Amino acid sequence: MQNKLSFNQSSVSLEIIGLPDYSNNENKDQISIISQWKLTIIDKPLIEGKIEHLGPIMNAFYIYSNLLIKNEIPLYESKLIDIKAENLNIHNIVLKSSKPNVKPLILKIGNSLLSDTINCFDQLNESPKVRIKKTDLPNNMPKKLRFGLNNNVKFFNFIMPPFIAICSLILVSSSFIYFNNPIEDKEKKELINPE
Amino acid sequence: MRKSYINNNIKLNEFDALIKITVEMSRYLYPYIREILQSKEDFEENSVIWNNFNKRFIELIKERFNIDSMRVKKLLNQAENDEIIVKSLLTLSLCISNQGYEKLKNFLYDF
Repeated sequence: MQNKLSFNQSSVSLEIIGLPDYSNNENKDQISIISQWKLTIIDKPLIEGKIEHLGPIMNAFYIYSNLLIKNEIPLYESKLIDIKAENLNIHNIVLKSSKPNVKPLILKIGNSLLSDTINCFDQLNESPKVRIKKTDLPNNMPKKLRFGLNNNVKFFNFIMPPFIAICSLILVSSSFIYFNNPIEDKEKKELINPE
Repeated sequence: MRKSYINNNIKLNEFDALIKITVEMSRYLYPYIREILQSKEDFEENSVIWNNFNKRFIELIKERFNIDSMRVKKLLNQAENDEIIVKSLLTLSLCISNQGYEKLKNFLYDF
């Protein structure tokens, strides 16, 4: 008998079906092995799939919403799902089936349904009853922030070698001051030009 | 932007507290935020909620903000403020989870 868990937010419902991992001594009501998931949006066709599709779809929604909020071009394209803004309030979703000869499913959702869907995904991520493998988990961190962290590391790597080089040049050249004796130089010049 | 003669710089702990209050309020007001967004989506059939919200938003801006500022003028311009309002409402509606505080903080730092 499989476990079923539902996450609801206004007009959207996300159902997770699966089994607990008994080898890990988990409770009966836990879900660690997800066999199926269903995303129900009122007045829209049912979206369902396998566990390997859930992670990329959640990721697509998170990345798209981040792009939308941060005034970047709201467009997400992948093998499985495309999301594109029709205008400020309507978003076009194209779900491509992994099976051959199956036409892609096209959905039009507004901002209200988009936020309901993302809130359902948030509930799933935060639920202690469902354990999703790290490889399936979407990276919920805003894209720009991730790039920002990478840029910091890159900038550090870029600036450090010349900085160390300049410092070592200053240190080495400053040690030559000890070899420089201006009085001796003056005497030498006087010997060359006795006048 | 506010109507104030004192320029107070917000401290980090005050900024955090404001984010926490905003997240709690948006969690509580989510059904209303959703209704306003939905009204904007079906504007031809259901414009009353959006118009009421926009009217009250402009009233509050005029009452509390310095309307001589260019940024405030942009908020009052109905042709330009739609995008700002929709994106602000959408941001709030996406930050109602338990991790909403972290989410809103990240959104604001990236703004």
